Amino acid sequence: MYDVLIIGAGPAGLSAAIACREWNLSVLVIDEFPKPGGRLLGQLHEEPDGKWWNGIEEAKILLEKAKQLNTEIRCSISAHHIEKNDHGFNVYTNEGVFEADNLLIATGAAETPAPLPGWTLPGVMSIGAAQVMTNVHRVRVGNKGIVVGVNVLSVAIAREMQLAGIDLQCMALPALNPVTADYGNPVKVMEGLLRIAHLAPSAAIRFGSSFLKGDGAKDLAVKFFPKSGVKMWGMPIHLRKAVTRINGKNQVESVTICDISAKGEIIPGSEKTVEVDFVCIAGGLYPLAELAAVIGCPFQYIEELGGHIPVHNEQMETPVEGLFVAGNITGIESGKVARAQGTLAGLSIANRVIGTDGQLENQIQQAKMNVKTIRENATIQFHPGIEKGRNQMEETFYNILHG
Amino acid sequence: MDKVIICRCEEVDLEEIKETISKYQCSAREIKLRTRAGMGYCGGRTCRPALNAIVAEISGEKLRHEIPLKIQPPIRPVSLGKIGG
Repeated sequence: MYDVLIIGAGPAGLSAAIACREWNLSVLVIDEFPKPGGRLLGQLHEEPDGKWWNGIEEAKILLEKAKQLNTEIRCSISAHHIEKNDHGFNVYTNEGVFEADNLLIATGAAETPAPLPGWTLPGVMSIGAAQVMTNVHRVRVGNKGIVVGVNVLSVAIAREMQLAGIDLQCMALPALNPVTADYGNPVKVMEGLLRIAHLAPSAAIRFGSSFLKGDGAKDLAVKFFPKSGVKMWGMPIHLRKAVTRINGKNQVESVTICDISAKGEIIPGSEKTVEVDFVCIAGGLYPLAELAAVIGCPFQYIEELGGHIPVHNEQMETPVEGLFVAGNITGIESGKVARAQGTLAGLSIANRVIGTDGQLENQIQQAKMNVKTIRENATIQFHPGIEKGRNQMEETFYNILHG
Repeated sequence: MDKVIICRCEEVDLEEIKETISKYQCSAREIKLRTRAGMGYCGGRTCRPALNAIVAEISGEKLRHEIPLKIQPPIRPVSLGKIGG
């Protein structure tokens, strides 16, 4: 029987655990991965000020702090169901049932598929899987590959793979089908690319982003996007080429790539075959909220936040008493935001357990402001409408509680 | 392109899903029941967004706030012994 059970040992879950332990709550953190740290373990990128963000080091810092506070963290445990009991929750896992008064779901996000003919062949993986193999397991995913899908996440991971010495041919879009309608559309992809343009060493993209604010300008940029792609760190990024098929008998041998119009339509006769032995598919991320759904938490579909989000307020509370959420389950943002949300959620939980306390109240206000400041200063914005999405969620929570 | 697999666990392709939608004018849930797309080992974690996207694209309707394909426990593959205790 714990004061709080935290599902997910990523930046949000670990920060929450630290905050709870600092207020002396009894805490259990579980995670289904064999190592704690969540997706921090995969992250490595250079920030605009030239400093490096090394997720493994960031995870270590959190873990050491949690250890100093004698936090119980158990890995390789999957929760498959949650039920309410008369004082809190029963959490059903592959290692038995755990009971807790409060529950924090910090399960992060899952990857959206971008299905293409041949994507079930061995050698095809999601970009996130390539990241875990490269940066966590230190396994070379292949000798020569291609990234299909151009977005904030895939560009960052492509860079990480380059740093690990893996040969990437290029990045291109997936061919259009009903599932890839957004990420196969060059204009929409361009919008996303402009949000990371300040990270690019390519003068062409940086220059482009400064005047490409209007929609018309974006269309023009796509229309005149160089046929050979724009190089980021020496690797061509194509917005006017799409992969239509992944080929191979028993494993990936090549991809078929075509020129596409500014709307994403395939230009007949432009087919080329590119030999590769692995393909990374990048369709983006969506909040992994299954556990919030089985406990009956209401949801909102908010595109700006990445999809269906459990309803919650600014303090990370849901309308289900004792249930809290933090991190990417509340909307797709950076690990830094998740970490700040975790601290806030931890303090909110402490508040529910301890009751009114002046010092705790101050810390909560501080943590709230911290989340906002970090969000405003984020160098990587996954969606330009984050703030709008967050406001919509606040309103929904208020309406549910006050009718 | 229509032969592209959407649900990997149950091997349901885009063509079958499209035909089912046009024949029955149906929701994501009805597609799941008719084709088994989303009912496999992964519990729909892989194809759920794809199924929603296909229905939204073909019907032209925006996604609603309720989750279209109900999420039911167990949400991870687990042996009967573990569930039964």
